[in-house]
Amino acid sequence: MSLQELRNRLDNREIGAVELAQDYLNKIKSRDGAVNSYITVCEDLALEQARAAQAVIDAGSSKAMTGIPLSVKDNICTNGVRTTCASRMLENFVPVYDATAIERLRAENFVMLGKTNMDEFAMGGSSQTSYFGGVKNPYNTDRVTGGSSGGAAASVAAGLCAAALGSDTGGSVRQPSAFCGVTGLKPTYGAVSRWGLIAFASSLDQIGVVAGSAFDTGYVLNSICGYDENDATSSAKAQGGYTELVGSDISKLKIGVPKEFLDGSSGEVKAAVLKAADFYKSLGCEIIECSLPSLEYAVSAYYLISSAEAAANLSRFDGIKYGYRSGLGESFNDLIKNSRREGFGDEVKRRIMLGNYALCSGYYDAYYNNARRIRTQIRREYCEIFKKCDVILTPTAPTTAYKIGEQENDPVKMYLADICTVTVNIAGLPAISTTCGYGADGMPIGMSLTGRAFDEKTIIAVCDRFEREFDRKECGK
Amino acid sequence: MFDEKLTAHLAELSKLEFTPEELSEMTKDMTDIIALMDKVCDFDPAAAPYTLDSVDYEELRKDTYKDSYPNEKILENADNVKNNSFVVPKVV
Repeated sequence: MSLQELRNRLDNREIGAVELAQDYLNKIKSRDGAVNSYITVCEDLALEQARAAQAVIDAGSSKAMTGIPLSVKDNICTNGVRTTCASRMLENFVPVYDATAIERLRAENFVMLGKTNMDEFAMGGSSQTSYFGGVKNPYNTDRVTGGSSGGAAASVAAGLCAAALGSDTGGSVRQPSAFCGVTGLKPTYGAVSRWGLIAFASSLDQIGVVAGSAFDTGYVLNSICGYDENDATSSAKAQGGYTELVGSDISKLKIGVPKEFLDGSSGEVKAAVLKAADFYKSLGCEIIECSLPSLEYAVSAYYLISSAEAAANLSRFDGIKYGYRSGLGESFNDLIKNSRREGFGDEVKRRIMLGNYALCSGYYDAYYNNARRIRTQIRREYCEIFKKCDVILTPTAPTTAYKIGEQENDPVKMYLADICTVTVNIAGLPAISTTCGYGADGMPIGMSLTGRAFDEKTIIAVCDRFEREFDRKECGK
Repeated sequence: MFDEKLTAHLAELSKLEFTPEELSEMTKDMTDIIALMDKVCDFDPAAAPYTLDSVDYEELRKDTYKDSYPNEKILENADNVKNNSFVVPKVV
């Protein structure tokens, strides 16, 4: 059921907000053991919020999100509800404030079912680096969900929430959405305030939405977007109205297909994406082969920039003010080192080490500054493509979801798998992923539609048009 | 060339501690990772200036006084607290 249908049913009293929340909580209890998508389930809070939402509905004052049950990725601060980043470091951290996105949803009386599992500090593409155990793909529990918003994607795919908030630094909303057969929207950098999103790489991080359809991602984005004085990088250009082009004529649009993305993808992924291009062509859209030559540098540039920012952002975790504190060591320095040693997992340590390497005197210009030059070049190349095209179509990931344990111990292999998603973050653009086929292994194949900055409306409409025709398989909700 | 000496130096900068076995494993991982990162060194630095900021900033908020969060709420997240303050090992 779409969020708009849910809204109508709530407003028409065909379903009660408490009944709806309880239904999801029951499903979480009975099904999440197999998937591990939630770290914290907020049963009492959710029912309390649902009762408040029902009072608002009864008073005839409901807003878009009133009574709608969402899951929230566990790196988004929630006042009074622990926010762990799936790390031992923040296992017992309880924020004293809400992220702006949460504050805006609370103002509309949404219902928060719980906090979802993820890769530790959002660093990973499998959701297997969580201190609370890995997330399993609802389509096939032997497979990864992708990451880092694996819990968000799995919670939507398994029917354990109506929609989910995730975050996307290098593909963390889109890639797990592709692996789990749902829709994931990464908004333009600045479209959603990052206030209260625990920082990984501040110039790339963006809160996004995972849902059952393109329409639903826009529906939620309408309620969380816009300028926020607490985040100087947030933008007033994000004005809402993200679903208003849904159902409009898209036949005059020009859709670019950059060849480099297809060349690096598996045969079945390439075939599914080209079939989607054929679908758009059959509607009258012009399909234009285009090129993003600097893609070959993208993964390295992304990891250098994001790790450099992560090394700085994670220096705040010292075991003193908040977070895990080691009992070992007698000196001030030992306390900090041991707290970080015991509090962080291996992948987080690798990123901090890489970041500090890139920022070291002697390496800074060759690595960090060149990565930033590549960033400029990638932006220029996107600008060139958007002179000829309205939307860009690519695979979301080079393969379908792989087996748990297959890649996670090989960091380089894991990093290379991000090739299809990182350039969008580097350029700060919006992109949406949806299912466009199924592999021989039965797992979903994802395609992404990337738009001009702050033009989420168009990519949502183009994605919705495909979803209306595509027969998406449910996964035993 | 990435070696254990460089790993130990980075660990010090990163305020991380490794056992000898972990240091060896991290050196191996970092060697592989840096080999991947070396790709950026192939990019011609004259081809593009580096990006300074990723956005055009909106108007910054006014620099005015606001009440902060209550001390006792903030201290609830600290592991060791005394006299309304964080406790740290002796530093001088």
